[in-house]
Amino acid sequence: MTCNIDNAVNIVISGVGGQGVLTLAEILAKSALSQSYNVRVGEIHGMAQRGGHVVCTVRIGKNAYGPVVDAGTAQLLIGFEPIETLREIQTIAKDGHVLMNSHILYPVAVSMGQVEYPKHEEIVTNIKKFTNNLVEIDAMKLAIQAGSSRSLNMVMFGGLIGTGIIPISEESALKEIRNAFPKKFEIVNTTAFQLGLQAVQSVSQ
Amino acid sequence: MTKATVLLEDAPGKEILLLANEAIARGVFEAGVRLVAVYPGTPSSEIGNNLTFMAPHIPNFYFEFSANEKVALEVAGAAAVAGVRAMMICKGPGLNVAADPFFSLAYVGVRGGMVILVADDPSMWSSQNENDSRYYALMGNIPMLEPSDPSEAKAMLLQAYELSEMLELPVLLRTTTRVNHTRAPVIFGKIKERPETIHFIKDPFRFVPLPSVARKRHPILLETIERAKEISESSPLNFTQGSGELGIITSGVSYNYVLEALLSIDCKAEILKLGLTHPVPDKTIADFLRRHRRVVVVEELEPFLETHVRRIAQLNKIEVEIMGKEQGYFPRVFEYSPRIVIEGLTKAINCNTPINWQEIDDRLKDLPTLPPRPPLLCAGCPHRASYYAIRTATRGKAIYPSDIGCYTLSIAPPLETADILFDMGSSITTACGIAKVTKQDVIATIGDSTFFASALPGIASAVYNEHPISVVVLDNRTTAMTGHQPHPGTGVTGMQKQVTPLDISQVCKGLGVKYVKVVNPFDSIADLVAEVRKMVSWVRNNSLPAVLVSKEPCALLTAAERRRTGDFAPKYYVDEKLCNACKRCLNRLSCPAMYQDPKTEKAVIDETLCNLCGTCIAVCPQGAIKREVE
Repeated sequence: MTCNIDNAVNIVISGVGGQGVLTLAEILAKSALSQSYNVRVGEIHGMAQRGGHVVCTVRIGKNAYGPVVDAGTAQLLIGFEPIETLREIQTIAKDGHVLMNSHILYPVAVSMGQVEYPKHEEIVTNIKKFTNNLVEIDAMKLAIQAGSSRSLNMVMFGGLIGTGIIPISEESALKEIRNAFPKKFEIVNTTAFQLGLQAVQSVSQ
Repeated sequence: MTKATVLLEDAPGKEILLLANEAIARGVFEAGVRLVAVYPGTPSSEIGNNLTFMAPHIPNFYFEFSANEKVALEVAGAAAVAGVRAMMICKGPGLNVAADPFFSLAYVGVRGGMVILVADDPSMWSSQNENDSRYYALMGNIPMLEPSDPSEAKAMLLQAYELSEMLELPVLLRTTTRVNHTRAPVIFGKIKERPETIHFIKDPFRFVPLPSVARKRHPILLETIERAKEISESSPLNFTQGSGELGIITSGVSYNYVLEALLSIDCKAEILKLGLTHPVPDKTIADFLRRHRRVVVVEELEPFLETHVRRIAQLNKIEVEIMGKEQGYFPRVFEYSPRIVIEGLTKAINCNTPINWQEIDDRLKDLPTLPPRPPLLCAGCPHRASYYAIRTATRGKAIYPSDIGCYTLSIAPPLETADILFDMGSSITTACGIAKVTKQDVIATIGDSTFFASALPGIASAVYNEHPISVVVLDNRTTAMTGHQPHPGTGVTGMQKQVTPLDISQVCKGLGVKYVKVVNPFDSIADLVAEVRKMVSWVRNNSLPAVLVSKEPCALLTAAERRRTGDFAPKYYVDEKLCNACKRCLNRLSCPAMYQDPKTEKAVIDETLCNLCGTCIAVCPQGAIKREVE
């Protein structure tokens, strides 16, 4: 018996301000609503958004009343950056799944030599203290391959759908991506989605 | 963000996913509101951002970004006195700015519906305090509604107008961050028409609160709030649900957490959910207390409802155990979550939590300390160049009064140019106080929107009282922190009309400032440093205030403009051959687009993050930072 996840799928999206975390949360929630699911999104705006650590929550299902996802209750943690994934690892439910972008964004404190960025193995080992279900992709590489580093959030969206954990179809997701962006960015974003989807499906198989 | 045009659809019954702030903007349209005045402030900002795009398409609708909250409340309050539906929107600290007209408006009352939306910020995601604005309703005798989610936020806005018109009083619609910034399904309603204009009917002995008038109005206000109490008793906004031995009284966003908590712990309870929280329904609460031996009160921040509940129990001599913040079951700080509610409830009824959070907390202690990633000035932010110059010119030894905006982030190393801050506009006035009692150089920094919001009386006072202060106005041509709203210096109105912008340097000259200069922080760092030195020395010699306007648009605006036009400007890069890994660029600028290559230890510019300001070129002693040329 867990906390607030009965009849609700909890997703936590963690990243850095400017990476498109909010946009992903909104498109994901719209896809859920288009399939007639009840949905809640918790967002971060204002000062907290300026290049700092950003977390959004998406809750899908009948019993989602508020937007908050507590420690130990997320079925899915989407990390846009390695340490930002680990920063939210306490949200993951027992046997929950983590999708992590391996591309590093060095915080200023690291660039200034005040602290060191943890080694990759250290990040992975610590994530695995909470769950063994970890999938890593280089979403930045795939985004650039799709045509723009700014499509990184859609690579992560594809990856998220690719995990098969949430009840959103590829078609609903693609439809909401087309609705969300201007026509001239449509191909970049749908390509990014497909690349993320394939990357995660090939790892999961 | 949902496109503002979607919010204009005449499609009653349509279900759509909306941020509560978008739902409120839609509610303004549905309620037939004639005039809205706001000053942007997180977590309320997106309401205005949507209304400004909707405004030109709504017949007989006027929307403005006022210079500050006091102005906004006076503009909107007067429209409601004249007889149309009007609204003022602000964040929690904004209501402090508007407190003066707030109390007067309650005394004189309104003829058209008037709603004041105040968005509090528990956890202080983007605010200097987490003051609980509900006490304004209590102190001002103004009815208050508190929604729990986006759907209720829109519904309560419409109900607030009905209540306001019934009582001829303004109504406070109080939200919190976790309501404003929740996105959920909302159903569109019908759209009410707006009058084109109305005729102002004079009634000075009601609307001019001379002492003799105010003495008559105060008892009338108290009678009116008594009538509101009766409405509160029968209002469907205050309702009970469920059944059980335990009673839970709750309001706002906490209501959701109570529902989720009851799904996950073995506890049956009757909930009293209060939507109309001032005046509270005394009789309804007394009856509820009589039905239970134990009642838990769940609300964020101060024990506002809890104190009422204890008062009602005492007045009615009801024997009931009231459990809340007073005994430490719930915290008085920060936002709540289902976990906090579950932990409070399980402690109150003595049972186990459904998740072993202690075990998760313990496991977290084993994790390595992660590098912090606080919010910071963006790559390409013109403020970085200005602060670098201010700091260099004064060797970090001056006192730097700061103000409210993105630039407060200069508090962090290596810029460290924020020493004191109270509220909007306080950079100027705190500089005055410090300059009068010390011999240190004082350089105040203030943004352009904050300048128009709250700096002018401070500057007038500094000129007249001859305060030796240096002021740098960081003019990035927008209200950046809250999402790029216009202000009187930008040349665009809330109605999307192009107008003549006010010129900050002219305004300062008009106020009597003798030393006023305008510079561009991206022209030359060396010149900028020299300008700051020149100003500081002029202030020392003349013992008068001086102003330097550092003018360059926000990096996010220029980046968006480049994307829109497809202008691929040449990129900056570090010449590996010339870089000697001294790290001066990294240590002095703290630009998020620069990092150290872990292998070579040399500086690298991440071209996906760089906003092409070029400030780093001047900082490199080796000349290793260059711009690609075709």
